[in-house]
Amino acid sequence: MNGARMMQGRRAGAVLLVPALVLVAGVFLAPFLLLVLMSLWSQPQGSLLLDTTLTLKNYLRIFGDPFYLRGLLTTVWLSLAGTVLCLLLGVPLAWWIVRWTGRWRGFVLALVLIPLTCGALLPTLGLVNLLGPLGVVNGTLKALGLIDRGLPLLGNQAGILIGLVQAFLPLMVLPLVTTFGRMPPSCEAAAMSLGARPPQVWRHVLLPLAAPGLLAGSLLVFCACLTSFVTPQVLGQGKVATFATMAYQQASQVLDWPFASALAMVMLAILGLMGVAAWGLGWRLGAQG
Amino acid sequence: MRDGVRVRASLAAALFGSVVLAAPAGAQDYSGQTLVVGTWGGDIERLLREHAAQPLEEMTGAKVEFLLGGSGDRMSKLYAERENPTMDVAFQNIYEAPQLLSDGLVVAPDEASDAYKAVWPGMNNGCYAMSLVGLGIAYNKDLVPEPPEWADMWTPDYHGMIAMAPYPGSEGDGILGVAARLAGADEHDADAAFAKLAELGPPALTYTSLDEVFALMDAGEVAMAPMISGYVLAALKEYPGIGFAFPTEPGPVLIRDMVCQVANSPNPELARMFIDLALGAGTQKAYAEEIMFGPTNSQVEISEQAATDTINTPEEVEGLLQLDWPYVISQRADWTERWNKQILGQ
Repeated sequence: MNGARMMQGRRAGAVLLVPALVLVAGVFLAPFLLLVLMSLWSQPQGSLLLDTTLTLKNYLRIFGDPFYLRGLLTTVWLSLAGTVLCLLLGVPLAWWIVRWTGRWRGFVLALVLIPLTCGALLPTLGLVNLLGPLGVVNGTLKALGLIDRGLPLLGNQAGILIGLVQAFLPLMVLPLVTTFGRMPPSCEAAAMSLGARPPQVWRHVLLPLAAPGLLAGSLLVFCACLTSFVTPQVLGQGKVATFATMAYQQASQVLDWPFASALAMVMLAILGLMGVAAWGLGWRLGAQG
Repeated sequence: MRDGVRVRASLAAALFGSVVLAAPAGAQDYSGQTLVVGTWGGDIERLLREHAAQPLEEMTGAKVEFLLGGSGDRMSKLYAERENPTMDVAFQNIYEAPQLLSDGLVVAPDEASDAYKAVWPGMNNGCYAMSLVGLGIAYNKDLVPEPPEWADMWTPDYHGMIAMAPYPGSEGDGILGVAARLAGADEHDADAAFAKLAELGPPALTYTSLDEVFALMDAGEVAMAPMISGYVLAALKEYPGIGFAFPTEPGPVLIRDMVCQVANSPNPELARMFIDLALGAGTQKAYAEEIMFGPTNSQVEISEQAATDTINTPEEVEGLLQLDWPYVISQRADWTERWNKQILGQ
C-alpha cells in the first residue's frame, strides 16, 4: 500500500514537472541547440543568407587567428583578475558585515546588493561619469591643477576591471557572508587560545573553513565576468576586445550570425569546464572535510 | 409576378447605386489590414507618422504600425523572417539596401513609377533613396579656427584628438573612402585606406551619441570628428563652440537612407502606397525643414534656410563623393576585423 502510494506520488510529481520542462525546452533548449547548429553553418561570400552545410571554419577562424586568441586570453585574464580583486575586497567586507555590523547587518548587506538590482547599464554609465575625461576624477585633478587633459581611465583594461568589480562584488560577498555567518566565533577564540596569531588563525582556520564560500563566490564572479557585455563594451570604449563584445559586433553589426554563435559556444565551453573544475574541487573539499 | 420582378430589380438597382456612390472613385478599402513599417525612432518616426502614415490611414482605412529600432536589428529580422516576413516596409542604410536586394529580401524599385523617376538619377540603388546626407567634419572652433578639409585631420597637432563613430557603419566606411583618396587610391584599395587612416592614431573616442562627443569636443578633449550631417546640424544649435564643415577635397561622402519594400510581405499594395507618400513632397520637405535631411525627390521645393543646410541641388549632388557601396558591404567582415586591429588597436 505504501509502495503504491509512493509510485502514485512519483507519477504525480513527474506530471507536475511537464509544464516546466516544456517551458525550458522551448525557451532554452531549442534556441541553445539552434545556437550549436548555427556555429557549424556559414555564409557564402557576398551574402548574408545561411549555408547550412556543416563546417568547422568558424572555430578554425577563432583558434587560428591570433586576434581572436588574444581576445580569448584578454577575456579570461579580465575574468581572473576581476575574481581575484573581488576576493581581496570581498573577504574583509563579508567578515566585517558578519562580525561587526550587528543589527545593521541587513541594511549594510542591502547596500552591497544594490548593484545587482539595477542591471549592468546604469552603474556602468555612472562609472563613465566618474572616470571619463569630463568625469569627477579628471575634473577634480584638473581643478587642482595637476593635469591639463583628462587621464585615460576608460578605454583600457583598468577601467573595465573597475566596472567588473563594482558590478560583481556582491556575488562574492553574498556566499561569503553565508559561510562566515555559519562559523561560530569560538573557532577563532579556540585557535588563539592555542597560541595562534591572527594571520595564522586566518590561514589555518578561517580560510579553510570558508573554502566552500570562497569557491562558490569565485565561480560566480568568474562566470559573470567572462560573459559580461555591457561593462567591457561601455568602459572599454571599443578599444578592448572581449569575446562578449566580439560576439555582439559579429551578430548585430557584421551580421555574421554563424561566427557570433561560434564565439558564444567557445564561452559556453569555458563556462562548462569551469563548472566541472569547481565541482571536482568542491567534491575534494567535501571529502577532506 | 411582374410587380415582384420589378420590385426586385428596383431593389438591386438601389443597392448597386448605394455601393457605387459610397466608394470613392479608384480607392480600395484596406480596413482591418495593418501595414508594418520598420524605421528609426525619434524625429524620423514622428515625421513619417505625420506625413505618410496618417494620410495613408485616412486614404485606405488601414492601420500603420511602426517597428522602431536600429537598421541592424531590422536586417536580422528580415533575414530571420525570410520565408514569412511580418514587416512590409523597412528603412535601411545605404550599404544595406544593395545586400538586401542581392539576397532577394526586398522588391527592386519600380523604374516605371513616378516616385522612382522623381528621385535623383542613380540613387535608387537596391531600394528607393529616401534622404541625402553627407559625411563632413564636426570641429571645435577654438582648436580648429577655419572650417577644415579632410587632410587637416592628419595635422600632427590633432594626433589622438579625432573621434570616430563605431565601425561597421557608414561614417567609418566614408572616412575609409576619404583616407584612400588622400593616399591616391580609392575604397577598392583597403591597404592604402587603412594605412592612411591609422596615421591618425587610436580614436580619442568611439562615440555612440552626439551628446557624448559634443560634450568632449566642447571641452577641448576632441578636436574633430567625421560626422553625418542631418542630426548634427540640428544638435549644433546647443553647442555654439562647435562647427560643421562640408570639405571639398574630396567632397563630403554621400550617405543615403533607403526605403525598401519587403519581398513577399503581407501588404505589398499598402507598402507601395506608403513608399510613394514617403518619397512625396510632404515628407521630403518635412525631412529637409525639420531635421536637415536632404530630399531625394528632385522636384521638392524647400526654404532657403533648409537649402543652405542640406544637399538639394544638382551641383551639390555632383560634388558628393560616391563610394562603391556594393563593394564596400561585401568587405564588411574583413574591414571590421581590420578596423578592430589597425584603427582601434585591439
